[in-house]
Amino acid sequence: MNPDLDLSLDRLIRAPRTRVWDAWTDPASLAQWWIPAPLHCRVEQLDVRAGGAFVTEMSEDGTAFSPHLDACFVVVDEYERLVFTNGLNSAWRPANPDPVAMTAEIVFHDHPEGTEYRVVVRHADPAARARHADLGFADGWGTVTAQLAQLAEQSV
Amino acid sequence: MAQYSTVLDGVFAALADPTRRAVVRRLGQGPASVGDLAHDAPMTLPSFMKHVRVLESHGLIRTVKSGRVRTCELNREQFALVEDWLAEQRRVWADRTGRLEHFVTRQEETP
Repeated sequence: MNPDLDLSLDRLIRAPRTRVWDAWTDPASLAQWWIPAPLHCRVEQLDVRAGGAFVTEMSEDGTAFSPHLDACFVVVDEYERLVFTNGLNSAWRPANPDPVAMTAEIVFHDHPEGTEYRVVVRHADPAARARHADLGFADGWGTVTAQLAQLAEQSV
Repeated sequence: MAQYSTVLDGVFAALADPTRRAVVRRLGQGPASVGDLAHDAPMTLPSFMKHVRVLESHGLIRTVKSGRVRTCELNREQFALVEDWLAEQRRVWADRTGRLEHFVTRQEETP
């Protein structure tokens, strides 16, 4: 874990591990919670195996859908662990997604009261995205960030 | 998240220009008039004003006109946005986990 780039969260979910897993891996179930209402979610592809496609779309009105996630699974340990990344799209093409590339690891453990649920998301450096997007940072984003830091310090 | 990305893209694009970064650097030392800022830029005043408007429209600077002088200053809150992307992602995943929890426990109650 890099605290500047990564996040983790742990939650005790009061439901059996198999039920939590099924909510993740059944397309109709995933569509129910993956995206916040009032947005509609359409699960285009959910091929839950290593290398399998994970593609979701979203819509405001339920008719016109736009891309939401285009990713693929990296690791699938049934009922135990899911790892997927959008740094590689569903066609295995290296991607530079908006706002930042990430690898998400979801771990499911049994707990006397349900499921111990852990999420770890490792992000690429958004500065790298700014560079790759060819926005014309002649002297690189690192310099700009340093300048911003200087500006902040000057304001103190 | 989409809206946040759009704002962030605008901020990145606004900073992706040496003239505009020079203005940001200069304003980091304190407010300055458009006239003084333009004096340091190798271009006409109308061209320079376009850069000022880009910075203003993306919320990176504020300008105030007093008499014939327009003064610019940094809007530091907008710079903080660039640093806050991780907090936004954390919120997305926490909300998502909450919805998953609600979904599976609701099933539990009404099988």
